[in-house]
Amino acid sequence: MSEERSYDSPPGMLALFARAGVGLVPGASKLPFIGGGRGKEIPSLTLRLSDLSIDRDKLTAYSRVCGFQLSDILPATYPHILAFPLHLSLMTDTSFPFPAIGLVHISNQITQRRPIRADETLALRVWATKLEPHPRGKKFSIRTEASVGDEVVWEEVSTNLRRGGEGGPAPGERERQRQAEELPAAATWRLPGDLGRRYGSVSGDINPIHMHSLSARLFGFPSAIAHGMWTKARCLAALANRLPEAFTVEASFRRPILLPATVEFAEAWAEDGTARFAVRDAKKGTPHLDGSLKPQA
Amino acid sequence: MNSTVRRVAVLGGSRIPFARQNGPYARASNQDMMTTALNAVVEKFGLAGERLDEVAAGAVLKHSRDFNLSRESVLGSKLAPETPAYDVQQACGTGLEATILVANKIALGQADVAVAGGVDTTSDAPLALNEDLREILLEVNRTKSNAGRLRALAKLRPQQLVPEIPRNAEPRTGLSMGEHCAIMAREWGVGREEQDELAVRSHRKLAEAYDSGWLDDVVVPFLGLERDQNLRPDASVERLAQLKPVFDYVHKREGLLMAPAYAMPRMLQRAGIKLQDFDFYEIHEAFAAQVLCTLKAWEDERFCSERLGLDEPLGSVDRDKLNVHGGSLGAGHPFGATGGRIVAGLAKLLSENGSGRRGVISICAAGGLGVTAIMEAA
Repeated sequence: MSEERSYDSPPGMLALFARAGVGLVPGASKLPFIGGGRGKEIPSLTLRLSDLSIDRDKLTAYSRVCGFQLSDILPATYPHILAFPLHLSLMTDTSFPFPAIGLVHISNQITQRRPIRADETLALRVWATKLEPHPRGKKFSIRTEASVGDEVVWEEVSTNLRRGGEGGPAPGERERQRQAEELPAAATWRLPGDLGRRYGSVSGDINPIHMHSLSARLFGFPSAIAHGMWTKARCLAALANRLPEAFTVEASFRRPILLPATVEFAEAWAEDGTARFAVRDAKKGTPHLDGSLKPQA
Repeated sequence: MNSTVRRVAVLGGSRIPFARQNGPYARASNQDMMTTALNAVVEKFGLAGERLDEVAAGAVLKHSRDFNLSRESVLGSKLAPETPAYDVQQACGTGLEATILVANKIALGQADVAVAGGVDTTSDAPLALNEDLREILLEVNRTKSNAGRLRALAKLRPQQLVPEIPRNAEPRTGLSMGEHCAIMAREWGVGREEQDELAVRSHRKLAEAYDSGWLDDVVVPFLGLERDQNLRPDASVERLAQLKPVFDYVHKREGLLMAPAYAMPRMLQRAGIKLQDFDFYEIHEAFAAQVLCTLKAWEDERFCSERLGLDEPLGSVDRDKLNVHGGSLGAGHPFGATGGRIVAGLAKLLSENGSGRRGVISICAAGGLGVTAIMEAA
């Protein structure tokens, strides 16, 4: 059974996080108004948000935190910020099979079909794919499409892991890690302890694992961890002046970055315009993120 | 070694619209704006991934972290990162001086293709530590003993939290450029009405340039702004007359904005041409009175003989050839950016009007500086 739900304005984030938080309390998900844990399968629910215009002040704040130049063209990661309230609505919906908080964001793929100008009006469509087995549990993806008029200009596949089981690495993971470790270093980034709060304030993603070491400890992390989507955005900002008009950029999130941190950004470009990049621990060289970029025709 | 001097061509330029302080560019940095303008040039001339011989540009109001502003802008642009760059800073002469620098290198065969320009923001101003606080902190840093450090820190006072703000005043005279210009206006008998007329003309000419599409291939929108924000197409002498004067006449001293009046005859003499041998005059409108005083000085027999040491006055400038698409009064004047605006505009104007046409640029700058240049259609 598929269902569609349309919004006139982005759903409020605080209420969504409150729902997500309550969903963690044992038994709370049995309550009729709390999301997470009732269904067995990912619901066939599509959320839509139309007539979305860009708030320049918010775009500026986001660009500053992620290292993008101010521009009239949206960073390719920006529509993710616009869609995030819908992602959270979907994952805190009463029909969703498990609590949103506690899911692990394992990868993100964005395709920019053409540059999006900040004065364009966007429509967003968000849905989730079925659960699939993963060596360390089950995974599913949140899919997002951004359109201008009838034209789909941007797509995203954001993949999450619901942990369960102690399986080994996914196929090809070790090979990718080895490749990420071998990329030539391009820059050292010093990430401040409050980076999670800064990115939280511009992205709306105030998941407690990013906000403070105390709140992160409740979830088993020794300190606050950097948002994966900040890390990806920061990489894209570093590549920004060499990006083609249309491209797909994919990133896999490996070990979390415990803040504050000093990390190393590495990149390599091939003749065909593709690139590989990584963010690694500055001392040990273990990857936090590895990614690739491919031009689209 | 190359011993010949080559002719240098200005191929064209791009700029973003000029905005009011704390307007749509309130949070844009000099680097954001310079990178955007550079990328517009890259787009216009198909330079993506190309290595140019150099980029020279600068800003007047600059954060100390922006010591390599031009280089960082190149690295953030679509130009090849192997393009060298350096910063130039000569007050309001920055953009034109940068153009002359790269042109000279091209003339001497030290470069083939280069970009020159400038940028400025007063919204994202470089606030510095209070001077007293800075001295205390430096003293703490110099002191070896903990007791000594504590003694230095004991000098901290709450009022030292007030930052050092860039001031619009000449270090040696304590007067602002506007006050200096007011002195000149009195000296040359330039009245309010004359100034308002020049200002109205500047606004209207620029508005016409926008309306006719003349600026379409020069100005690229930025942060939602498509035209210079200061521009008032409906400006009139009557309405301007209602505005209160900003600068009052103060005690008599040499006006500091007269430098181009001195620079021009020296340049003309070297070039072997007269002030009247130009089809277009681009005189930077720092203030309406600055332009009017300069024009009067060149017409004045006594000034030309006593101050410039000329046998006869330089003579008058045909007003119909002056700032024909508007000037700084209409467009606004972000200090370092003005030279680039004028050079790109004059290059377009000359090329449109046919081979052999000649234009002259005159820009006054803080510190009693003046920069002038001649351009000719190929």
